[in-house]
Amino acid sequence: MRSTKDMDLVTMNIIESTMLSTCREMGITLMKTSYSTIFNEALDFTCGIASPQGEMLAAAEFCPAQIGGMPLLIKSCLEEIPLSEIEPGDVIVHNDPYRGGLHTPEHTLFCPVYVCDELVAFTVAIGHVAEVGGMVPGGFPSEATEIFHEGIRVPPVKIKKRGADVPEVWKLWLANVRTPRYNYGDMRAMIAGVEQGAIRLAEIIEKYSLATFKQTCADLLDYSEARMRAEIDEIPDGRYDFVDYMDNDGVSDSEIRIEAHCYVDGERIVVDFTGSSPQVAGPINATLGVAWSATYNAILHLTDPSIPKNSGCFRPIKVIAPRGTVVNVDFPAPEVGGNTETHPRIAGAVIGALAQADPSRGMAAEGGTHLNFVFGGQDQKNNEYFACYDIEVVGWGARPFADGNNATDSINGNCRVIPVEVFETRYPWLTEEYSLRQDSGGIGQYRGGLGTSKTWRCLDAEITCTQLTDRHAHQAWGLEGGGPGAPGQTLYQHDDDAPWQTMVEAFNKRSTSKWSNVKITQGERIRLLTPGGGGWGDTGARDPAQITSDVADGFISKGSAIDDFGRQVGDKS
Amino acid sequence: MRFAPCGYYIESYIKCDNCGVLIYDDGLRALQPEFNEKLFCSEWCIAWFTEKAAGVEQPKIDLPFD
Repeated sequence: MRSTKDMDLVTMNIIESTMLSTCREMGITLMKTSYSTIFNEALDFTCGIASPQGEMLAAAEFCPAQIGGMPLLIKSCLEEIPLSEIEPGDVIVHNDPYRGGLHTPEHTLFCPVYVCDELVAFTVAIGHVAEVGGMVPGGFPSEATEIFHEGIRVPPVKIKKRGADVPEVWKLWLANVRTPRYNYGDMRAMIAGVEQGAIRLAEIIEKYSLATFKQTCADLLDYSEARMRAEIDEIPDGRYDFVDYMDNDGVSDSEIRIEAHCYVDGERIVVDFTGSSPQVAGPINATLGVAWSATYNAILHLTDPSIPKNSGCFRPIKVIAPRGTVVNVDFPAPEVGGNTETHPRIAGAVIGALAQADPSRGMAAEGGTHLNFVFGGQDQKNNEYFACYDIEVVGWGARPFADGNNATDSINGNCRVIPVEVFETRYPWLTEEYSLRQDSGGIGQYRGGLGTSKTWRCLDAEITCTQLTDRHAHQAWGLEGGGPGAPGQTLYQHDDDAPWQTMVEAFNKRSTSKWSNVKITQGERIRLLTPGGGGWGDTGARDPAQITSDVADGFISKGSAIDDFGRQVGDKS
Repeated sequence: MRFAPCGYYIESYIKCDNCGVLIYDDGLRALQPEFNEKLFCSEWCIAWFTEKAAGVEQPKIDLPFD
């Protein structure tokens, strides 16, 4: 590792910032040209630049799950398509969870960048494609018991070769999804993103020279490594353990154990998940890429956010994810929920462990789910199939200095909710209610963030709905005496006079949080109540002015002010 | 992913017995006979695995990890 004293830090900063800007431009290109709301509204993608050896050099701040997963994805891909077989104008597509991927819907696009006939980098886009075939529309078959239920699996293949489409790959892919027109548009958007990035990166290299670019990239990785080592060195040496649980896997009632052991030794951390549950029958298993990504995500949350995000950050971190467990699933088990539901639980366990080492860096647990409400049906007006992946937001955990954020996407998503107006324009639902959930944040000196409540009424003849969520039973934990956040709920109402029921009660499903292919018809309602975040510290230490303010804002009820915080605010109600 | 020895497309994913990473080449084996059946991705993983198996609570093994 080169000393920072020998680096040209000014040039490095300029090139790093320019690469980051390029990644953001790739993302904006993708957003503006895509067809599906999961891309152009929810922003469930990320864009980056990698070295020919697969090391991530820069990544825009879109989806953290995909940023942390990028290094393993690229290296696994290059094991199957060696550099000698890659040519200018190629674009490679890949979504295979068992080849370094994150989960089946997550498609990765690579575009090689050539300068003077030398392959000098890859531009990379990773995006969650909303429809991938499989047993449910929308790609989250929560009752799947094998990978083949989850949709089409694409090992690394060229979708463009020497600048021209490979029609066989397009035909094969589009024939296996329910919404080929939308998939075509979204794939074109990702290709446009990586090709735009390749043009920009070549311009940067030509401006600064290839030799300067190469040296700067090597220095940049070493610089991030040095910064991360220094951060880890601040954490007291020792072993720190933490355990969290997931409710169930959708096909059985057993809870699932996530166990993290963090060994801090000087400038390095070993994170060992030995003791986590064996892989399960249902689709909440995580791939190795998810385990890596969640661990990196947690440690990036606990360290200096100004460290440039590249593979150098990850060099002092070793992940041990025993094969055949819920954190490193073996083929051919299902795994689609691992990237959305298990990732937050893995990251939370690492944060919970390291919060013991340095409470000032810790954060109570967040809601830890993306709700993953997916649906599809036949559009009556256009006679075309539609499908949607809807993400909802949760309460975040309180910190040693502040309340948790309200209504924020879980730790690995950084995604947005589809605006109500867009949602109603694109899909046959009426949003009757959308609000923050009063009293859903864990109590404490600092309150957990609030989840949300959303009620939809079906406007179409029939919509096929599926959900893969969690934290209906195991609540977001508090820290330092803070209380847990409220659990989530999903409810169904047949008509105005009918009672609200869980999916177990209404449709005899196995799980309230993981159910597939329920037909919702005109006039029926779905209500999604998202979990709140955990609180931090004792309630007695909460500033009375904040309690009054919370009541005035409707964040807590007057009853909670009295019962939980011991403070009368106006009349009890 | 590896093809089966017969050349057929029978999927096989070989993983390190310590850290779980995919192994595409021949991998490494520990010198100790009791771990002869184990396959590892790196010398670091061999060292960590053998020290943990010997009861070392927190092995101290230098970087790099791979």
